[in-house]
Amino acid sequence: MLWRLVRRSMRERRAHVALTLLAVAVTAALATALLGVTFAIRERMARELRAFGANILIVPRSAPLAVTVGSLRYVPSQEEAYLEESELARLKTIFWRHNIVAFAPFLSRTVEVAGQRALLVGTWFDKRVDVPVPSRRFSFASGASREVAAVEGGWNTGLEALVPSWQVDGRWVREGSGGALVGRALAARLAIEPGQTLEVELEGRRARFPVHGLLRTGGVEEDQIFVELAAAQALFGRPGRVEKVQVSALVTPDNALAVRARTVGPESLPPSEYETWYCTPYLDSIVFQIEEALTGARGTAIRQVAEAEQAFLGKVTGVFVLSSALGLATAGLGVAATTARAIFERRAEVGLMKALGGDRRQIARLLLVEAGVTGLGGGIVGALLGVALTRVIGLWVFATPIESHVLLLLAILGVAPGVALLGALGPLRAALAVPAATTLSAE
Amino acid sequence: MTLIVVRDLTKEYDGRKLRALDRVSLDVASGEWLALMGPSGSGKTTLLNLIAGLDTPTSGTVVVDGAPVHALDEAERARFRRDTVGVVFQHFHLIPYLTAVENVMLAQYFHSLADEAEAADALVRVGLGDRLHHRPPELSGGEQQRVAIARALINQPKLVVADEPTGNLDADNEAVVLETFQKLHAQGHTILLVTHDPRVGALADRRISLDHGRIMSAGLEMDFDNARWKRGERQS
Ligand SMILES: Nc1ncnc2c1ncn2[C@@H]1O[C@H](COP(=O)(O)OP(=O)(O)O)[C@@H](O)[C@H]1O
Ligand SMILES: [Mg+2]
Repeated sequence: MLWRLVRRSMRERRAHVALTLLAVAVTAALATALLGVTFAIRERMARELRAFGANILIVPRSAPLAVTVGSLRYVPSQEEAYLEESELARLKTIFWRHNIVAFAPFLSRTVEVAGQRALLVGTWFDKRVDVPVPSRRFSFASGASREVAAVEGGWNTGLEALVPSWQVDGRWVREGSGGALVGRALAARLAIEPGQTLEVELEGRRARFPVHGLLRTGGVEEDQIFVELAAAQALFGRPGRVEKVQVSALVTPDNALAVRARTVGPESLPPSEYETWYCTPYLDSIVFQIEEALTGARGTAIRQVAEAEQAFLGKVTGVFVLSSALGLATAGLGVAATTARAIFERRAEVGLMKALGGDRRQIARLLLVEAGVTGLGGGIVGALLGVALTRVIGLWVFATPIESHVLLLLAILGVAPGVALLGALGPLRAALAVPAATTLSAE
Repeated sequence: MTLIVVRDLTKEYDGRKLRALDRVSLDVASGEWLALMGPSGSGKTTLLNLIAGLDTPTSGTVVVDGAPVHALDEAERARFRRDTVGVVFQHFHLIPYLTAVENVMLAQYFHSLADEAEAADALVRVGLGDRLHHRPPELSGGEQQRVAIARALINQPKLVVADEPTGNLDADNEAVVLETFQKLHAQGHTILLVTHDPRVGALADRRISLDHGRIMSAGLEMDFDNARWKRGERQS
């Protein structure tokens, strides 16, 4: 009988029910889309920062004057300067060794491929690194010393760990396989596919690489060729040499001490502050420790870009969350007002139901079930609209559709009837307070 | 046996100096049909509401079937109305979007369980067997009032109160509705009926007349031939 009554009542007031449903649906759609997009931005932000990967660039102290043209790079040979590949394992012996998440060395030259020019990059894909020092004691001017535990045994790192967001059609190159990854754009120009062999030439020397995969990065790497470092060193005639290393390190955000150390130079800090600075994983102190570890190395913090980006995305997210909250509050009030009006208009009916012997609980149940059903209906419609809206916004902002989280949708389906019920509560109390006689003797 | 005992019942509406009901005392026997008469504004509806537990008095007592109606809290009054009273209004007060049978079922639903067959049966008994699934707007005034009577009776209340039940009906419908009340009376229902029509009042066992909230006369003899009316001859 309850459902029969609710059905009849809703059919009777279908215009009003439709309006309420619309209000709930719009609210729910807004909530789904705004929250969905906000989550997606946060997720993408995190992934992009991870994709950016390296936050430290290590180059030789006497860095060569390199000329970069698009994806190509030219180095005058008399100005060449290098880092030693054999020293790289020392990166895992510094004080903040455990914060070095990944790194990869690079050595590159522009080569000829089937009559075209392309940058051939030698690197580590997933290289086994044997860490030389078991454990190490760091002593400070204050007399304090700290022991840092060893990195157990060996450790694998390289491009795969440094830039996990890069996508490979085919497979990654295994160390020692002699294979190559070819940028997607270059592969298209060369009409080459995984499984085929790439022949490159540099100053009369030739090398052949079986293509294991095509690389999708969304950047200049799609015009480049990646091979194992040793193969590149052999082709370029530079055994054991590396021109730069990119490092991904977990760092603490800068504070006043970090800023002071950067302006005056860490050596000018009082000993105790120096110790604190050294023993805090600031980007600068890790760079400092890397420079200590590698001969002739200069570290650069790739900070500005990442931080500016992060700050910007943070603000964008903030604006989104704020406007979501305001939009939802407004829409929620609208829903509550519509529900409130519906119940206000039914005071006479409530009075009659009381006269017929209905108690507060029975009458409240009738009205609340109706409000809840309307809210749930609106929530379902709104969630569906929201899923579509989220996809559209995703296509517009990121050029890829954003999928809505199931949990978010479930939450919306829970909250939508909740808002309608909340809106119903106030006027319901008022309506139930009306004595039966008053509404009935009114003529 | 006395079903209703009213003593010194007084009602003052908020913000009104005058008493709508002024120290009214009254007994109604079980199975009795009492007509409440008097001019408009004399307090008839007020008295009915207080006896039916639809409103609360300013002072005085109402005891119906042993229940101290004046002293009940809201939940207890709801239960009292549900179990003891059936109400019929001048303006029918059916729910417009429910069919005739659903309007009757609503009273069942509030009482215990809705039973469509039983509700339909009640409508058949008031001559509406072919109107079960019509909505109030599709029914004549008399038909609507008979639906309301079926609704008032569906839970077998000890007391039926009716506030000018024929006030909004034409002569033909009035006759049908009054016949229904006579049947109820014959079945032993206690009826409290408000009217200012002497012909309607004449059908009751007893009449009391209110004026300015006080009882003016009881058992007043009317200039009305009840027997002639029952034979179907119209009075002028
Ligand atoms: N809800 C109310 N609020 C204020 N005054 C009321 C209310 N109901 C009735 N009255 C007043 O109480 C008096 C009696 O009214 P009522 O019982 O409706 O008379 P009757 O039914 O005999 O016409 C009238 O003066 C009327 O105006
Ligand atoms: Mg009245």
